[in-house]
Amino acid sequence: MTDLLTPHVALEIQGISKQFPGVLALDNVDLKLQSGQVHALAGENGAGKSSLIKVLCGAYPPDGGTMLLAGEAYAPHSPFDSIGKGIRVVHQELLMLDQLSVAENLLFESLPRKHFGLIDRVALNRRASELLSLVGLDDVSPTQIVQGLGMAQRQLIEIAKALSGDSRIVIMDEPTATLTSRETERLFEIIVRLRDSGVAILFVSHHLQELFEICDSVTVLRNGRKVSTQPISETTPRDLVRLMVGREVIEATPRANPADQRQEALRVEGLRFKGQPNGAQVDFAVGVGEILGIAGLVGSGRTETVRAIFGADALQAGSIFREGRPVKIRSPADALAEGICLVTEDRKDEGLLLDMPIRSNLSLARLGACSRAGWLLNSVESKDANDMARTLQIRLTTIEQHPRQLSGGNQQKVVLGKWLLCEPAVLILDEPTRGVDVGAKAEIHRLLQSIADTGTALIVVSSDLPELMQLTDRIIVLSRGKVAGEVLRKDFDESRILELAYSEYMKSGESNAQAA
Amino acid sequence: MPKQPSTDTTAPATPTPTQSLLPKGLQQLVRDSGIAIALLLLVIIFSALSPLFLTPGNISNIFTQIAINVCLAVGMTFVILIGGIDLSVGSLTALCAVVAGTVLKLDGLSVGAAILLAILTSIAVGVVCGLINGTISSLWGVPSFIVTLGMLNIARGGALQWTDARSIYEFPDAFNEFGTSSLFGMPALFLVALALVIVAWIVLTRTVFGRLIYAIGNNEEAVRLAGHNLLAYKILAFTICGASVGVAAVLYMTRLTVASPILGIGFELNAIAAVIIGGTSLSGGRGSIIGTLLGACIIGVLANGLVLIGVGDFIRQMITGGVIILAVILDTYRLRSMRRGG
Amino acid sequence: MIARRTVVKSLVALAVVAAFPLSQTFAADEKPKVGLVMKSLANEFFKVMTEGAIAYEKKRGDFVLTAVGMKDETDFDAQTLAVESFITQKKDVIVLAPADSKAMVAPVLKAVKAGITVINFDVALDEAAKKKAGLDLAFVGPDNRGGAKMAGDALAKKLGPGAKVVIIEGNPGADNGQQRKAGFMDAAKEGKLNVVASRTAMWETEEANQVFTNILTANPDIKGVMAANDSMALGVVKALDAAGQGGKILVVGFDNIPAIRPLIKSGKVLATVDQFGSEMAANAIDLGIKARKEGKSLKGWIKTPIELVTAENLK
Repeated sequence: MTDLLTPHVALEIQGISKQFPGVLALDNVDLKLQSGQVHALAGENGAGKSSLIKVLCGAYPPDGGTMLLAGEAYAPHSPFDSIGKGIRVVHQELLMLDQLSVAENLLFESLPRKHFGLIDRVALNRRASELLSLVGLDDVSPTQIVQGLGMAQRQLIEIAKALSGDSRIVIMDEPTATLTSRETERLFEIIVRLRDSGVAILFVSHHLQELFEICDSVTVLRNGRKVSTQPISETTPRDLVRLMVGREVIEATPRANPADQRQEALRVEGLRFKGQPNGAQVDFAVGVGEILGIAGLVGSGRTETVRAIFGADALQAGSIFREGRPVKIRSPADALAEGICLVTEDRKDEGLLLDMPIRSNLSLARLGACSRAGWLLNSVESKDANDMARTLQIRLTTIEQHPRQLSGGNQQKVVLGKWLLCEPAVLILDEPTRGVDVGAKAEIHRLLQSIADTGTALIVVSSDLPELMQLTDRIIVLSRGKVAGEVLRKDFDESRILELAYSEYMKSGESNAQAA
Repeated sequence: MPKQPSTDTTAPATPTPTQSLLPKGLQQLVRDSGIAIALLLLVIIFSALSPLFLTPGNISNIFTQIAINVCLAVGMTFVILIGGIDLSVGSLTALCAVVAGTVLKLDGLSVGAAILLAILTSIAVGVVCGLINGTISSLWGVPSFIVTLGMLNIARGGALQWTDARSIYEFPDAFNEFGTSSLFGMPALFLVALALVIVAWIVLTRTVFGRLIYAIGNNEEAVRLAGHNLLAYKILAFTICGASVGVAAVLYMTRLTVASPILGIGFELNAIAAVIIGGTSLSGGRGSIIGTLLGACIIGVLANGLVLIGVGDFIRQMITGGVIILAVILDTYRLRSMRRGG
Repeated sequence: MIARRTVVKSLVALAVVAAFPLSQTFAADEKPKVGLVMKSLANEFFKVMTEGAIAYEKKRGDFVLTAVGMKDETDFDAQTLAVESFITQKKDVIVLAPADSKAMVAPVLKAVKAGITVINFDVALDEAAKKKAGLDLAFVGPDNRGGAKMAGDALAKKLGPGAKVVIIEGNPGADNGQQRKAGFMDAAKEGKLNVVASRTAMWETEEANQVFTNILTANPDIKGVMAANDSMALGVVKALDAAGQGGKILVVGFDNIPAIRPLIKSGKVLATVDQFGSEMAANAIDLGIKARKEGKSLKGWIKTPIELVTAENLK
């Protein structure tokens, strides 16, 4: 094996192509990874990043091109094979065995064994604890079952998994998508440590500022082709976006008129959800045409709060008022009747009918309007769907297409369209742009602003602070199931919001946000 | 899944050449009508091997023979579409039949009234048991596999208890004659099953209820969050299955003019096989009633054709099993190419 | 029926050595305890048989009967448990209709060693397995092969040599299924019938209906059908009705179930065979108690009566 500490080309690929029926996913792509360096891979969703990663780790065989691993020919026939050759991937889609323990998931490929192939539990858990502390998950027990863990914790476990072997190359596919900024910092420390030990890292992220923070060089893909490769120091975020999109992106203009005297659309008093820390409760109000942001760490109760308002999960206590009237919301149907809609956090599991036409997806929440006496009115449904697809500029060939074939941004637009067709008075969005690329993100932002301008009250939950600060009129910050504070648009300041987000955790003397 | 440049946010579909053995149009046809083509192939093979196969008499026989399975499979399709399964349909057929058989032999009723009442009773018994299956599995979140396994035993035990293990026979002639009668050259039994197929097809493709059945199988949570009452629709799917069992039981009785408490053993597996061969996914959300009808036809044609060409009993069983597995494999391929190809 | 039982009893009297005075196996005030292990009570045939045994207990009143049935006909696991519990309960006589002719040899041996008189009826335990276990036990039961031959002979006589016929078999894995098929074949050979097809319908009406419909399509010129039980004969008749051949192609069955009788009357079924199921268990119990009292062990095959039922002698 080559000495890891002398800089060398860890992986070189030339002319890689990959064809799927009807789609050329990769078209003659070159890439060179240097040991001891972090290389960024940028591109919109659908540009070929995921396909390239799958070719690198042996999940797909390429149709053409050559790969050299440390100067030797490399042709993995399975992901397992590539792991054996020192290539590790932190996947974007978290593939975990829900019923197994954290330790078993971490070391699944190489479970420590005793005689007769029995698993050595002691060694397993010890090794797992070491890995967990590497990624700062000291409070997660190796014996805990994965099922109960949150998205961010799972992501960190996935990262820890990549550290479990002696890797020469670590590929990270959107590792920060579900992480808070503090966790992201922690991840960057790990990346620096890996880099300095001579590992070559391929880093994929939609957050451009992260690329500029951590990476040495960057390759941009567009439509399956390599557009450019350059040192990160020689480019700017603006240039990168132009390369990725192929045109200038028009950013949504920041909200001009901050919240002043608006008519109240929704008020929540003394809301308590299941699992909320004792004594904590949530109170807030949002006005007609206002965009309210909800910030907070993972586990601070943001998602639980909005789900309780929508009736998706049972409300433990508290009152909800619509335009000053007290309303009872026991189910999503009640919420819809009050004009409250929720775009959930997890669009694949909770939002989309992946294998049904876009038309059916769009009409799902308002079948009453597309039918008469239980009979579907196809013409009404199709017309509504076509209109909405046009309004939202969903990139589709026909409304009969299935969402599975759409990119993340377009899938999110379908979910959004479903609720917009209900003409909501209060639209709640939980992480509306997670996993959505730069271009689509800007479009969604503009869209949300125009919806607010028509008088709809918007509540946006997001882990992406810059997003909240750009999009909203006002931000409330949750900390440990409590509203820690409210920041008006004129006072928006990242460090102030973070301070509020940590405030409750500091009080009780607990340092780790994950405990919540 | 690969990301698709054709849906990229910048460029609308850069057409890339597809490399495939089949031209695009033919590919599409195979994808949509794989089961129909398989059925056609079977028919061609059997016609070539036996001159008796494609005679009007034999075709009529096949239709008669599949009528009961078609009925059961139609109901089963609803349950499987929402991601459930109903193992109780075989035993339930027996329960419906013996209760209806008793009604049919009640004294003091005119023949017409007795027949009408028996049909309604059979369907009512099926509906009640389906309602129980659906309510328990949906309300308490018990997997339908378990609930209907329980119902399988309850219904069988109930049928035996009801009759004290004896068969009921000697039904009115008017009732028995229906089993062998035909209309426009089609067996009456099959016409009943076909009517059921058409009604189910309309319900599944043209109504809000049908739409939600597919949607629940696709993503239950999304349907719940869209403000729909999941419970009602799921219970209704099982109830429809029960009702179709009631119809199947009547068909059985008129065809064989006897109602035995031990009839219908293994019927559920045949019905499930028809649904699966017909391309409905066991995990729900995808499939069609037409597919189910074709699936039942494939099973029926196999059973008939293999006897006609003189294949032995045991080999026949093996071939039928092989076809079920083959159908599922083909369907997996179909699904994959569909998800990739757009 | 009563007359029939008298026949059986005299037959039993021949089989059992009766000239000796009663041995003192039972205390005078103690009634012998009899355990009856049946096959599936979901099967009408066995259900009737069990009821016959219970009626016999009531009628005689000088023994105590415990009857157990299984959930299906192949449930020898549950039968083994039943025999073992009867051993524990110190039954004097166990009367068993084995669900499996090989698997039941071991529990029977255990019971015999525990000093219990065991009577095997309905289906014979496997000869080779018995020999291997060193078990010598009588079998009380009908001659399935002989019965099937009787039905087949009736058909052959009616049709004449050279007629094409079909056999609908029972479960090809079960002893009585095999015996009945063999009996039909015997009759066909003797009566020079031409057997064009022989297929299983697993004892079931619906399956027999399907299988036979398809056979009929392939062989429209058949003249007769031999079904290994009446349930299947019922399915065959319905298939014939559907094809417009009811009464033209002759059917014989086996078991004389109530549902077949109207069809015999109407001439659609030529004959069936009655093996007096309702009395079979009672007879076996009778034999067992007698053998116990006399301290003798029964050997060989004690054939129970069978009778051909046709339109002429149908009651």
